[in-house]
Amino acid sequence: MSQPIGLLITLIAVTIAVAALFFVHPSIIRGATGKILAFIGLCVLPALCVAAGMSTHMARSEQTKFCISCHSMENYGKSLYVDDPKYLPAAHFQNHRVPPGTACYACHADYTIYGPLKDKLQGVKRIYIQYVGRPPDKIEMSGGYSNLQCLHCHAGARGFEGNPVHVALMDSLKTNQMSCLTSGCHDTIHNASQVDQLKMWSPGR
Amino acid sequence: MKPSPFSMEKLFRISSCLTIVGLVIEIISLWWIHPLAFALFAFVGASLIGLGILIYLASLVFATPSTGENR
Repeated sequence: MSQPIGLLITLIAVTIAVAALFFVHPSIIRGATGKILAFIGLCVLPALCVAAGMSTHMARSEQTKFCISCHSMENYGKSLYVDDPKYLPAAHFQNHRVPPGTACYACHADYTIYGPLKDKLQGVKRIYIQYVGRPPDKIEMSGGYSNLQCLHCHAGARGFEGNPVHVALMDSLKTNQMSCLTSGCHDTIHNASQVDQLKMWSPGR
Repeated sequence: MKPSPFSMEKLFRISSCLTIVGLVIEIISLWWIHPLAFALFAFVGASLIGLGILIYLASLVFATPSTGENR
């Protein structure tokens, strides 16, 4: 999280106390001190609370438990525990190739509320579909999966750069002409619809 | 210039009330980690706080000072 939650709650509590003072005794503004206090309590502090709150919520939205808290994402969360190294997300998650606490964000950082304004609006649309509309049976990423999501970690890594297949295809991979996932190389991804029939790995066993 | 029907004190009250409600909603939204908490904060809490700030700023420009106010 970007800042301790206790600090934010304290800031909000102080702001509520100052705002309550103006609600109960609005005549305070008659003095110069009251005017300064009003500017701080009704403008500066609330703006700070919104900025800090937005920062906290954005940091929280990177957490795996945030993503899989939606019903349609449950199976995608379960797929991280599939006991089969062919499953790409599971292998990354279980071997800590991505931070387990922010596993979804590590590989899906370019869309929904993580990306620019257009992506944030897309994220809001997904929240709307989840709670007001009807989520599609098969969830697909608009625009497909970009190789850049793989390359921001793998590019420059010895194991990746030293693989002769990767070397031969490097230009196509970097320009996204050939997909890492759908070109027949690493095509076992979440497989969310069948996850209940697969053997699962239990941490600690 | 036509005097504003709103006194500064009345607008301050409205502004502080909106700010308090918005901040309480922000605290509630921080209670749990969920997309709805984000939506609650972004669309309800932050909007109310923003409206409170706007009313405060508007009161400085448009409201008529209360009787006996130091200027």
